[in-house]
Amino acid sequence: MPSFVTYLIHTLFPPTVRYPDILLIDAGLIVGAIGLVGFLTKTHRWGWLWREWLTTVDHKKIAVMYLISAIVMLFRGGIDAEMLRAQLAMPSVHFMPAIQYDEVFTTHGTIMIFFMAMPFIFALFNAVIPLMIGARDVAFPRVNAMSFWLFAFGAILFNISFIIGGSPDAGWTAYPPYTGLAFNPGPGENYYFLALIIAGMGTTMTGINFLVTTIRMRAPGMTLMKMPMFVWATMVTSALILFAFPPLTVALAMSLFDRLFGSSFFTLTRGGMPMMYVNLFWLFGHPEVYILVIPLFGVFSEVVATFSRKALFGYPLMVVSILAIMFLSYGTWVHHFFTMGAGPGVNAFFGLSTMLIAIPTGVKIFNWIFTMWGGRIKMTVAMLYQMAFIPTFVIGGASGVMLAVVPADYQLHNTYFLIAHFHNVIIGGTLFGLLSGMYYWWPKMFGMKLNERQGKVAFWLFFIGFWITFTPQYLLGLKGMTRRLYTYPAGLGWHELNVISTVGAWIMGAGFVVLVYNVVWSLLYGERDVTGDPWDGRTLEWSLPSPVPEYNFARIPVVHERDEWWAMKQKGQTMAHALRPEDVHDIELPKNTPVPFLLGASFFVVGFGMTFKWWPIAIVGMLGVIACLLYSGFDYDDHHHLEADVVRQTEASLGRLQG
Amino acid sequence: MSEATKPITAEEAYNNENDKVLRFLKPRFHEEAFPTIQILGYIGSLILTFGAYFLVMNHVLPPVALLSVILVLAVFQAALQLGVFMHIREGRGLAWQLIPLYFVFFVALGMVGMSIWIMLFKSGVS
Repeated sequence: MPSFVTYLIHTLFPPTVRYPDILLIDAGLIVGAIGLVGFLTKTHRWGWLWREWLTTVDHKKIAVMYLISAIVMLFRGGIDAEMLRAQLAMPSVHFMPAIQYDEVFTTHGTIMIFFMAMPFIFALFNAVIPLMIGARDVAFPRVNAMSFWLFAFGAILFNISFIIGGSPDAGWTAYPPYTGLAFNPGPGENYYFLALIIAGMGTTMTGINFLVTTIRMRAPGMTLMKMPMFVWATMVTSALILFAFPPLTVALAMSLFDRLFGSSFFTLTRGGMPMMYVNLFWLFGHPEVYILVIPLFGVFSEVVATFSRKALFGYPLMVVSILAIMFLSYGTWVHHFFTMGAGPGVNAFFGLSTMLIAIPTGVKIFNWIFTMWGGRIKMTVAMLYQMAFIPTFVIGGASGVMLAVVPADYQLHNTYFLIAHFHNVIIGGTLFGLLSGMYYWWPKMFGMKLNERQGKVAFWLFFIGFWITFTPQYLLGLKGMTRRLYTYPAGLGWHELNVISTVGAWIMGAGFVVLVYNVVWSLLYGERDVTGDPWDGRTLEWSLPSPVPEYNFARIPVVHERDEWWAMKQKGQTMAHALRPEDVHDIELPKNTPVPFLLGASFFVVGFGMTFKWWPIAIVGMLGVIACLLYSGFDYDDHHHLEADVVRQTEASLGRLQG
Repeated sequence: MSEATKPITAEEAYNNENDKVLRFLKPRFHEEAFPTIQILGYIGSLILTFGAYFLVMNHVLPPVALLSVILVLAVFQAALQLGVFMHIREGRGLAWQLIPLYFVFFVALGMVGMSIWIMLFKSGVS
């Protein structure tokens, strides 16, 4: 059937995926896949992969999988960024054609936000939260695995777009009418909407899971005001996710209906309203930026207290300000589209509400500084990121307040000033925080420390590269360079600043290479953590051995203090954690299940079928989804008991059992 | 180790008569044999959804009346979801349920109300 084959080739491999660089990547991916399959077969690891990882519901292993995905996605998003900077380094460069440039900035933004920052945050949640609150797992372990696999298959669906069918190219915000069928007929935007809906379902489930976990699973005695700050941050973030993702899902689904089923929610014809998409998107989008940064406020609060060797300054005020940020973040979304012209009343209201957020954020900044004040600061890599975060985030926040001034925003809207602002807060706040948390909790996750010297090299490359990249972009914005510009003529005075910015991007790229080297080197030769408490920590996760046994706590602790582990060490009671054999009972643990993996795979099939409007494939996938849900719903055999003897043996081998 | 400093188990801590906070936090569950209410609630929520869809698609009402009726249907829908599926009536004390719920209503009303305000474009400049 030659016509059928021709149709397939034209649909799956249109000219936009036949650039030489993409063909090179195709070849590389095929070689890499063959190599991976060969390696797994040769070392007989398929069974191990399936039993230990693909079917696991253990929060610690899910955290590792989230972390690996996030770092792979950081690589992909970083390559995109380097391509963008290469194109803009000189005037009138046509390294990429306009359409490919559009695709690259779209995937850069989407991947960095949804497939790098979010899973990295969930990696930290999963790795730490149950340990911090003295629980054996999250509230719904199976739902947790489902969240991960929905995210993972959403990410795969999004990432195959550039080799099969064509990337989305309407920006990470995917505004209509750029995404309308009339202007964007290829499958790229379908990929965007479906991948984000699938990954977004996973994110919503994570939000529910961690909200319930932090409210219901805390060890006895850990009242709300005795929770570590990272637990507060997780609770607030989960609440934000719960409220913010439904508007996004609705907006994406309506856009998808416009494209697939001929509805006209956001089309210009037949009474549709494109600006309603913008409104719905930013109803999600503004809380989203706080979803991206509040967990890292929690990380910084833990890191600064540990490495200053002082209790967090102004803990109640920190709680109040994090709640104030949560509340205020729902009332500021119009500042992303002041220029829509909703009227002076609307713009004034949302400009003021935006400026208000600077107040609780400022309170937090001062509290971190006062925590360091008079402390004996240990300059570890985690602490360096924390100290770099404060000035970076303050400057990013200040430029944000400048953008909140409505008349100024009319000038600065969609210029490189805005680009510099949000990279300043997202890199300075989110990425620095994620890396700080990664270095801080790495011993707990993997049982060895990341090499500090290599980590410091990576840190300085990131920090210096960041400022060299984005300071010129503020100036470029003030000189009128707009975002999403695929090339520019000489003679506008933008040339030198763009060259500097590109050099900075290379330095950050070098920082990423050192970071990966650091991780690989430390996995092979890193200093083992035999104490379980390498940083002289303050919270309960450091009372456990590294890496943590499957059941976390042989006996659930009873909490009396805010910094429980620190207080126990002060009172010399750490041996109180050593168990007597008769204190150990059978432990109920969730059972591994293939359902989450199969559910994610089914959703992937649905997404792929709908992207190309191949309905039979989509229906087959949907049947798979229904089968997974039905099976899961009536599967009562979902936990097993770990015998007390096994626990005793494990604890004894770790030297934590008395007698 | 003396008896006074001996650590207690979670179960003992939950059952400690003197510690109201801990007894308050103890997990409790409620189960029924057959989910009659849930099935009726599911059918009810479908009726409310398709009712709103029918009203919009067939333009049976003038715009302002249409908007009002849809908002009323949405309130019924929210009440139904909370009452039937979100176990609002099962509880231990009021504090846990009501404070987040007031917050939810406040945020939801704010989102809907402010969206309407924004999208009316009562503008003097645009």
